[in-house]
Amino acid sequence: MRFKQLLIAVGALAVLSFSQSAIANEGGGAALKHAEIDVTDQAQIRRGLTVFTDVCMGCHSATYVTYKGLMDYPEIDLSREAVDELRGDHAITEGMRTELSPEDAESSYGKVPPDLSLIVAARRGGADYIYSLMTGFENDPEGKIPEGNYNKYFTGHRIAMPDPLAWLDHDAEDTAQLEKDAQDVSAFLAFIADPHQNERRAIGCWVMGFLLLLVLVLWRLKVEVWKDVKH
Amino acid sequence: MLNTIMKTKLFGWVDRRTGAEAIIKSQLTEYPAPKNLNYMWNFGSLALLVLVIQILTGIFLAMYYKPSAAFSYGSYTVAFDSVERIMRDVNFGWLIRYMHAVGASAFFVVVYMHIGRGLYYGSYKEPRELLWIIGVVILLIMQGAAFFGYLLPWGQMSFWGATVITNLFGALPVIGEFLQEVLRGGFAVGDPTLNRFFSLHYLFPLLLVAIVGGHIHALHVVHSNNPEGIDLTKEEEKIMFHPYYTVKDAFGVAVFLLFYCYFVFFNPQAWGYFIEVDNYVPANNLSTPAHIAPVWYLTPWYTILRSFESKLLGVVMMGASLAILFALPFLDRSKVRSARYRPVFKQMVYLFFVTVIVLGYCGHSAPTPTLKLIGQIATTYYFAFFLLLLVVPKFEKTKPVPEGI
Repeated sequence: MRFKQLLIAVGALAVLSFSQSAIANEGGGAALKHAEIDVTDQAQIRRGLTVFTDVCMGCHSATYVTYKGLMDYPEIDLSREAVDELRGDHAITEGMRTELSPEDAESSYGKVPPDLSLIVAARRGGADYIYSLMTGFENDPEGKIPEGNYNKYFTGHRIAMPDPLAWLDHDAEDTAQLEKDAQDVSAFLAFIADPHQNERRAIGCWVMGFLLLLVLVLWRLKVEVWKDVKH
Repeated sequence: MLNTIMKTKLFGWVDRRTGAEAIIKSQLTEYPAPKNLNYMWNFGSLALLVLVIQILTGIFLAMYYKPSAAFSYGSYTVAFDSVERIMRDVNFGWLIRYMHAVGASAFFVVVYMHIGRGLYYGSYKEPRELLWIIGVVILLIMQGAAFFGYLLPWGQMSFWGATVITNLFGALPVIGEFLQEVLRGGFAVGDPTLNRFFSLHYLFPLLLVAIVGGHIHALHVVHSNNPEGIDLTKEEEKIMFHPYYTVKDAFGVAVFLLFYCYFVFFNPQAWGYFIEVDNYVPANNLSTPAHIAPVWYLTPWYTILRSFESKLLGVVMMGASLAILFALPFLDRSKVRSARYRPVFKQMVYLFFVTVIVLGYCGHSAPTPTLKLIGQIATTYYFAFFLLLLVVPKFEKTKPVPEGI
């Protein structure tokens, strides 16, 4: 066995350890639903922003996302008028913060709702987890957890957040719309977790292209320089 | 090209005052290297490259980073905020930070490959014992620098990782408690810890640069080993470092950058291996994450620590697992260097590589009884490998080494 075989063996082991990720996804044991999201889709991100401001922001903040950011990120690109309407009295450089005070949240729900700026990055399963959670409210099969606090995908199933999209007991004809809202807001949250991700991937393609050429050129150069060396 | 530059008037002026030409000749254009080095010999120059990347990106990150655990909004802190400001508001801050975060893991990938190559081809043996020992010092400083750096974003894994590791020092008798408090700057990990870790995170790379200089100097005294592990006596077995190995290293750099940039631009978290998911949650001393594990490059040693019931014994054995690397050149007395001509050693060293990967896997995973047992078996072999080297040369039938290459 030479080093080549060793490398193959190491590679195989690495792939093996990656494939069965050491720590399972979030999801309280249930397999997460796959969210159909596209973080380059302006329409979807804007719809998600609306869900966020209409529903989530009642309790949650996204303090790292400034109102100005909603104008500046090409993926959102709101007009000044639209942003002014959203921000009300808040300065344009301020982050998007809920009106609910931590004390009121504590007394109403028993805990302070987490900031959502990084929620997709901070949860295993990412956007799939958010989407699943939004559409995972059920009645506790064992009847122990009160209605509205049981979520199929939440670790331990008891969630302090009351069913934000009113998924529980919704009419069958609303299913498609609620699914869509849940996916849209997941897309928005996935975008704001890393707002330069599209720029990063776009630049990355050029970088990889350049490096492939560089590898090719330097490989030929190496072969040329080494052609007289017998080894 | 180099020759043209060396003939210029300006170069002559510099040369008369620094002896630059003699240095270039002795270190590059007339520095002899074995002609049969394989691609495993590329990882040294790659490690140097990543060190430079880390220092340059780190300097720029430090211009924007603020080491303060003071709360800003909700559970967010000034330190956590400053990292997010780098990611969101600083021009190309995301690029600099991802280069640094991916660079930390890349550094360990190339250095572990570099160490593995040294182990396999017997590069630690006479006359390169000190070269190897300086290398082990570099590894220890790297691990320290990486550990200090991981605290800086002040996320959950930063905080709890630092809590677990600083706790270890408390297990030492007599001085343990004192040492732990000095490291933390208090009774628990907090703002003073963050400040001193930031200072140390800036200091350690400076030490690295100096010691890497020593490592390269020592290499240029004893010269490179080669895959056959034999001393080269004939001139035709050697080639000049420049242009042969400069161009080969340049090719290696390009291939490395291809992998590195894939992670920087397309997968900077590397499925939670390079930046752990929980580190996007701000540090909270009242909420312990379900599973605390160090970043992948420290997990083999973490498994050794966890394999012992007694905390003190675990800490001592973890220290021993690193310290034994210093002793390696003196444990293995076989005259043959390369594993190519040592059938028993070859099997042992392959098993050792697998063992380290298994140790890493166990340390990264949530502990279960099965994994613990596997970790203990792997720990046993980790130490057995070094101790067996004391006796292996006594019975190992080595294959005849070639006269030359």
